[in-house]
Amino acid sequence: MLCVFQIQFAFGQEKFVLNGNVKDQATGEAMIRAVIRIEELPNLGVLSNEYGFYAIALPKGRYTVIVSQLGYEKYKEQVRLDSNLNLTILLRSANTLKEVVVESGRKNDNLLKPQMGTETLNLNAISKVPVIFGEKDILKTLQLLPGVKSAGEGNSGFYVRGGAADQNLILLDEAPVYNASHLLGFFSTFNSDAIKDATLIKGNSAAQYGGRLSSVLDVKMKDGNNQNFNVNGGLGLISSRLSIEGPLQKEKSSFILSGRRTYADIFLRASDEFKDNILYFYDLNMKANYKIDEKNKLYISGYFGRDELGLGDSFGIDWGNKTGTIRWNRIVSNRLFLNTSLIYSDYNYNVKLKNGLSNFNINSNIKDVNLKQDYTFYLNPKNTLRFGFNSILHNITPSTFSGTVINSNPKKGRNGLENALYLSNYNKATDNLSLDYGIRLSAYSLMGGDAYNIYEKDILVNTIQLDKQSFGKTYINPEPRVTANYRVTDQTSIKVGYARNVQHLHLLSNSTASSPSDQWIGNSYNIKPEIADQLSVGFVQGWKNNTYELSTELYYKSLQNQLDYKDGAEIFTLADVESALLFGVGRAYGLELLWKKKEGVLTGWVSYTLSKTERKINGINQNNWYNAKQDRTHDIAVVGVYTLNSRWSISSVFVYNTGDAVTFPTGKYSIQGQTLYQYASRNGNRMPSNHRMDLSVTYDKKRKKRIQESWNFSLYNVYGRENAYQINFQDDPKDPSRTQIIQTSLFRWVPSITYQFKF
Amino acid sequence: MMLKKYYSAILIGVFLLGCEKEIQLPLDPNQSLLVIDGSITDETGPYYIKLSKSTGISEASNFFAVTNALVIVKDNLGIIDTLKHEKAGSYKTSKIKGSYGNTYYLEVQIADKKYSANATMPQKVALDSLRINPFPFNSKIRYSVIPVYTDPIQLGNSYRFIQKINDTLDQTFHVFNDNLNNGKVNQRPLRGGSDSLEVKLKDIVAVEMQCITRPTYLYYYSLYQQSGAGPGGGTTPSNPPSNIIGGALGIFSAHTVQRKQIQIQ
Repeated sequence: MLCVFQIQFAFGQEKFVLNGNVKDQATGEAMIRAVIRIEELPNLGVLSNEYGFYAIALPKGRYTVIVSQLGYEKYKEQVRLDSNLNLTILLRSANTLKEVVVESGRKNDNLLKPQMGTETLNLNAISKVPVIFGEKDILKTLQLLPGVKSAGEGNSGFYVRGGAADQNLILLDEAPVYNASHLLGFFSTFNSDAIKDATLIKGNSAAQYGGRLSSVLDVKMKDGNNQNFNVNGGLGLISSRLSIEGPLQKEKSSFILSGRRTYADIFLRASDEFKDNILYFYDLNMKANYKIDEKNKLYISGYFGRDELGLGDSFGIDWGNKTGTIRWNRIVSNRLFLNTSLIYSDYNYNVKLKNGLSNFNINSNIKDVNLKQDYTFYLNPKNTLRFGFNSILHNITPSTFSGTVINSNPKKGRNGLENALYLSNYNKATDNLSLDYGIRLSAYSLMGGDAYNIYEKDILVNTIQLDKQSFGKTYINPEPRVTANYRVTDQTSIKVGYARNVQHLHLLSNSTASSPSDQWIGNSYNIKPEIADQLSVGFVQGWKNNTYELSTELYYKSLQNQLDYKDGAEIFTLADVESALLFGVGRAYGLELLWKKKEGVLTGWVSYTLSKTERKINGINQNNWYNAKQDRTHDIAVVGVYTLNSRWSISSVFVYNTGDAVTFPTGKYSIQGQTLYQYASRNGNRMPSNHRMDLSVTYDKKRKKRIQESWNFSLYNVYGRENAYQINFQDDPKDPSRTQIIQTSLFRWVPSITYQFKF
Repeated sequence: MMLKKYYSAILIGVFLLGCEKEIQLPLDPNQSLLVIDGSITDETGPYYIKLSKSTGISEASNFFAVTNALVIVKDNLGIIDTLKHEKAGSYKTSKIKGSYGNTYYLEVQIADKKYSANATMPQKVALDSLRINPFPFNSKIRYSVIPVYTDPIQLGNSYRFIQKINDTLDQTFHVFNDNLNNGKVNQRPLRGGSDSLEVKLKDIVAVEMQCITRPTYLYYYSLYQQSGAGPGGGTTPSNPPSNIIGGALGIFSAHTVQRKQIQIQ
């Protein structure tokens, strides 16, 4: 492996290391991916890491350090390097008029950021983008980017480049979040008040990420202001939120605590018809950090969220995620940065059904304990090495039943151990060429718990019972990754990338929509790791000093070991759900265009995706290729934010997309007096296309002493388009020999008002 | 499945903004296929096998009857019964006697095309009674009916229930098996989805209980899963798995029949 690393050691010249942290001057928040350059050596440059740390080795001399970060003023400082130097860089927030919403490279920075298909969301700026119910939401704003598709109207679920919803690795401070939606998907689990930064990588992730095929959404919580106390809040029509942050010991430690609660159920209680409906969620984000000394820093963060939904006593479902992360940053030497994380993650759901005297419950649970070590080694100005390991113990309990009417369920949980080793190098090969290449070796070992059944052509051929602590089969997969970025001119660059991703956990869903009760399952003797190979090419062109930018990406992705259910599979009650699974392959390809205006009073973007995604599964559609349900040919989003003055701004979103691939009947027949429908090929039809426009107006009140207030008024679906949510075929009640096609649509004109304050 | 229906009911109910309208869609042309709808029961014969053709979705549902077929039903006792066409694609048995434990073989021939199926009639499980099950729903009392029977100790029993409320057929496919409650007294009600008929006081509910084969269960369960397609609804629809070989739609079932009715009070 090492032989491919073109590491050039520079001998004969004395070198010193310049390192330190990049922070926000006002709040002390660490700045991620700030660009650090040396004016005298224009070819050099490094990025600060996830904790704001940077290091660069330079020959003895005098230098001008220039640091740039989106939304911040440029930092310039003269240094004399005749010994190793620690330099803390404090950045000042820039004029908000110049704020841009999405960043994926600025003047000359493209070269430093070779990652393909990567979008970073600036949390301050997305507050202006209108969303349903007026609650700013990173997942819904992400869906406006090319290659990312919404899982349904108002839904925070998303599909990336033809992948399924479970093929996105969603991390909150490194902890995987298994269900990122609240309240039937209308809210995401991410409270934007508590979030610093979110990055989406569409399949070409660096080697430190792994475990899902389609994308990585890496969400980082704020560290908490270590200078001053702040209270931040928002009141909306159906939800409210409040955050408190501040120093515990000034400059040494800080915390943030942020909570949300919806109260739609309070309105429901007022109506006679729906007064028994239960429908709410709450969540809480917490984080604290402590600087032990100049070289060691400790972070503790946690998330807790719960949804409750029900109909009086007769039905109830509740679900939620819990995550906890302890991280220890250590500057081992002036060029070696180490982060050790211990992560806990838990997702579970409970369903209660009550019927007179009898009751019935379903529970399911997935728990992870995860240990990670990640090293960043600033080898020399041209090479930054990143290596480490990750070890996760999964405990997965699929749906189990209990209640008065049934037998006790023999299903037990299963354990699985997922391990990964990785090594990558970010290499600035020439002035114009940068490379990021590496390999991840992932392994999944089956462990004890419930018995493993082995099926061959639907017939049970063997059963393996592993002891609690013993190991069964281990799947090992090397995952090579490489991206290259070539700068043609200051405003033009070309990118090429290849990545293999492997996924060991699978979400089983037999429905046309996601539900909190969809089950996760690990690899087994029948279920093999899912594999995706993605090849992509990109081209970025800027104009007018990169005020305008057009980025184009083409991708082709091939998928192996995809799974689906047989027709009529009873996923809940089967003793072994694996007996009802089918396996196959998939492919996805597309073109993504993103045209951005990054500066000025009018900012925003136009995104367009042309794509195709198909599956071929043995036992479905006569074993022929068919459209995956998330296959949509065209996807367009137009986002504009117009700043009138320092008080008022207007923003608008327009979206258009081809309808989902669905299966409509071609014919009908009668069995025992009931009309049944005849179907031909799977997903060969289309829902009607969707389009919609949203509008939002933000008013920032003049700051009074310490209090900062703002109002947001928004209108979802401005022209009241009835987008199809569901289509049903039925006998016409007036003439039963005629078939009626009935479309159900959800929202028309959803207005909302949100009041926000900060002091 | 049931839970998805609740889920969907809450979603549509709460947001209240849902609106329905009839639309037109471009649909694919249909390939007309033979439809076999036949069953042998433990009631006294004759039994009927109905043959028809499927039609396009936009055409009227006047299903074309197939009258020129050769239809034969045999059993494992050696009886061979060639069915007579009675009317409108309905073929009538004359010799076959339905009783549990026996296997029935169906053969249909139209010109040179052959179709076949077989089914073994399961044991009869006694339908003891019907029980009224009141439950509160949005501050009203609603009703459903629980068919009371004791599932036998062997695993693998399947049941189908046909419910009529004041003589109107409940279109929900009610099929149960014993995956979870093997050997127990049934306590599961015949509760339709949100779109089914509402059972009110004084209504007369008639229930037909059928002890069915595994393939018949799979056929109706697939139909049940597909109902209510769309978010919060069913699975991707397809023709349900059938026991008929040769490329026809429909099902050939051998089942027992019991009927009871009750007035809600």
